[in-house]
Amino acid sequence: MTENVNRTKAQRASRRERIRSIGSGLWKFATRRRTTGIALAILVSLLFIAATGPLIAPYDADELRMTDRLQGPNRTHLLGTDHFGRDILSRALSGTRITLLLGISISAFALCVGLPIGMLAGFFDRFGLVVMRFVDALMAFPAIILALALMAILGKPGIVNVILAVGLVWAPRMVRVVYSATLSIREATFVEAARALGVSPRRILLRHVLVNLVSPVIVQVTFTFAFSIMEVAALNFLGVGIPPYVASWGGMMNEGRTYVIRAPWIILFPGLFLATAVLSFNLIGDALRDRLDPKLRRVM
Amino acid sequence: MLTFVLHRGVGLLVSTFLVITITFLLMQMIPGDPAAVMLGANATPEQIEALQETWGLNQPIYAQFVHYLANFLRGNFGDSLFHREPVLGIIAQRAETSIWLGAVALLVVVGLGIPAGVFAAIRPNGLTDNTMLLVALAGASIPSFWLGLMLMALFAGKLGWLPSSGFTSILETGNLGNLKNLILPGFSLGFVNAALVARTARSSMLDVLQADYITTAKAKGLRSRVVIMKHAFRNAAIPIVTVVSFTFASLVSGAVVTETVFALPGIGSLIVQSVLKRDYPVIQGIMAIVAVLYVVVNFATDLSYALLDPRIRYR
Repeated sequence: MTENVNRTKAQRASRRERIRSIGSGLWKFATRRRTTGIALAILVSLLFIAATGPLIAPYDADELRMTDRLQGPNRTHLLGTDHFGRDILSRALSGTRITLLLGISISAFALCVGLPIGMLAGFFDRFGLVVMRFVDALMAFPAIILALALMAILGKPGIVNVILAVGLVWAPRMVRVVYSATLSIREATFVEAARALGVSPRRILLRHVLVNLVSPVIVQVTFTFAFSIMEVAALNFLGVGIPPYVASWGGMMNEGRTYVIRAPWIILFPGLFLATAVLSFNLIGDALRDRLDPKLRRVM
Repeated sequence: MLTFVLHRGVGLLVSTFLVITITFLLMQMIPGDPAAVMLGANATPEQIEALQETWGLNQPIYAQFVHYLANFLRGNFGDSLFHREPVLGIIAQRAETSIWLGAVALLVVVGLGIPAGVFAAIRPNGLTDNTMLLVALAGASIPSFWLGLMLMALFAGKLGWLPSSGFTSILETGNLGNLKNLILPGFSLGFVNAALVARTARSSMLDVLQADYITTAKAKGLRSRVVIMKHAFRNAAIPIVTVVSFTFASLVSGAVVTETVFALPGIGSLIVQSVLKRDYPVIQGIMAIVAVLYVVVNFATDLSYALLDPRIRYR
C-alpha cells in the first residue's frame, strides 16, 4: 500500500519534472536566438488575430463606404481604404483567419499523404524505386503551374479545391523528405537489431522508424506552411483561388492592382501581413531544424 | 565521362517519359467528358462526337495514351479551344518575352546573389554578412508579385522613371530599348531568388574557407583575392550551381505572376489566361513543355558537376 502511494508520488514528481524540462526546453528554444523569440511572438499574435477576428477589427471587413473610397492611411482608417471604401486594416485582419486555416489544412494534407508514402518508399526498395520516380517527375512541374492546372481540372474556385491543389503540390516534397530520412534511419543499428530479433516490418516502421521521423517532419511541415500560404496568396492574386467575396490577402492585392499607382496602400499592407507571416514560419523552421537535427541542414 | 553522360541520358529519357505521362493522367482527371467540357454548354452532340473522334477519346485509355505520345513527339499539342490555333504556335509566339524576362532575372540572381554570398562569407558575422543575411531572409519571405507591384508604384508611378507594363518584341522591332520594360519585372523576379543563392553561396564558401588547403594557400603568402577566387570559389561552386539551377523552377513559377502583374505577353500570363478560360489543351501543352525543360535543365546541371569536379565522373 505505502509502496503504491510512494510510486504514484514518484510518478507524479517525475511527470512534473518532465513538464518542467519541456517548459525550460521551450523557453531555451525561444530565447536562444532573438529572431526565434520574435518569430514566435508574431505567430502568437497571428493566432490571436485569427481567433478573435472581427472582434478586434475597427470596422466590418466587408462594409462598403463609397464616400470613404481610396483614402490613404489616416486616423479613422489606420491603413487606408480600398476602391469600395472598405477598411484595409479590418480586411487584412479578417484575412488572417482564412490564411492560417488554409496553411494548416494544406500542411495536414501534405503530411497525411506524404508521411505514409515516404516511409513505405524508404523502407521497401522496390516500392521506393517506382514511387520516387513518380515523385521526382511530379516535382518537375513548377509549383504554381501545377497548382494552376489542378485548379483548372478541379473546376470552380473554392476553399476545398485550393487545399487539394496546393496540397497535391506539396505532398511530393513531403514524400521526398520522409523518404530520405527513412533511408538513413533504416541503416541505424537499432533497426538492424530489431530485424535480427525477428520484429515484423510493420512494427519496426511504427515503433522505430516513425518516432525518429518526428524531427524532420516537423521541420518540413513548418516550411510547407510558409510556402503554401505564399502559394495560396499567389492563386488568390491571380483570381483562381478562393472566391473573391472572401477577404484574403492575395485577393485584396488582386483587387488593388488597378489602383496600384493611385493607392499603393491597398497592396502594401496585405503584402506586409503575408510577408510577416511567411517570415515568422521560415524563422521558426530554421530554428527548429538547427535545434532538432543540425545534420538536416544538408538535406533540406 | 562518356559512361557518365550515357547513364544520365537514360535517366533523362525516363524522366521525360514520366513527366509526359503525368501531364496525360492529369488531363484524364477533368471530371466528365473532356470533349463536352471543352466545347462548353452550347455544344451539340454531333460536335462532341466529332471532337471525340479527332482526339480519339472514344478509344480505350491506353490507345489514347499512345495517340497522345505520338502527337507529342510530332510537336502536336492540339488546338487551343479559344484561339482555334495550334497550341505549339501560340506558345512559340509567347516564348520570346518569357526568355528575355528569364534572362534579365537570371542576371539579377547571379549578379546579385553570388557576389553578396561570397563577400558575406569573407567576414562572417561582420556588418556585410549580417546585412546580407537580413536582406536574404526578407527576400525569401516576400512574394515576387508584391515586390513587383511596389516597385511599379514607386518607379513607374511616383518617380516615373520606368514604364509600368507591357512589352513589344525585340526580335521584330530590333529595338533593344524595349528591355527597359523588363527592368522592373526582371528585378522583382530575380531578387527573391537571389536571396536563396546568396544564402547558399555564403554557407558553401564558409565550408570551403575552413579547409586545410586554404590555410596552406594563405601560408604560402598568396594574396587573399587569389585565395578566395582561385582556391575557394571554384570549390564552393557546386552547391551554388545546384541552387542556380533550382531557381529555374522558381523563376518559371515567379514568371507566372510577374508576367501577369506587368502585363507581359509571355508564357506565364498565357497559362493564367488559359486557366481562367479553361483552355485545357494550352494548359497541357505549357505543362509538358515546362516540365521537360526542367528535366533537361537538371540533366545539364548534372553534367556541369562533372565538369566542375572531375571526381564526380567516376562515382
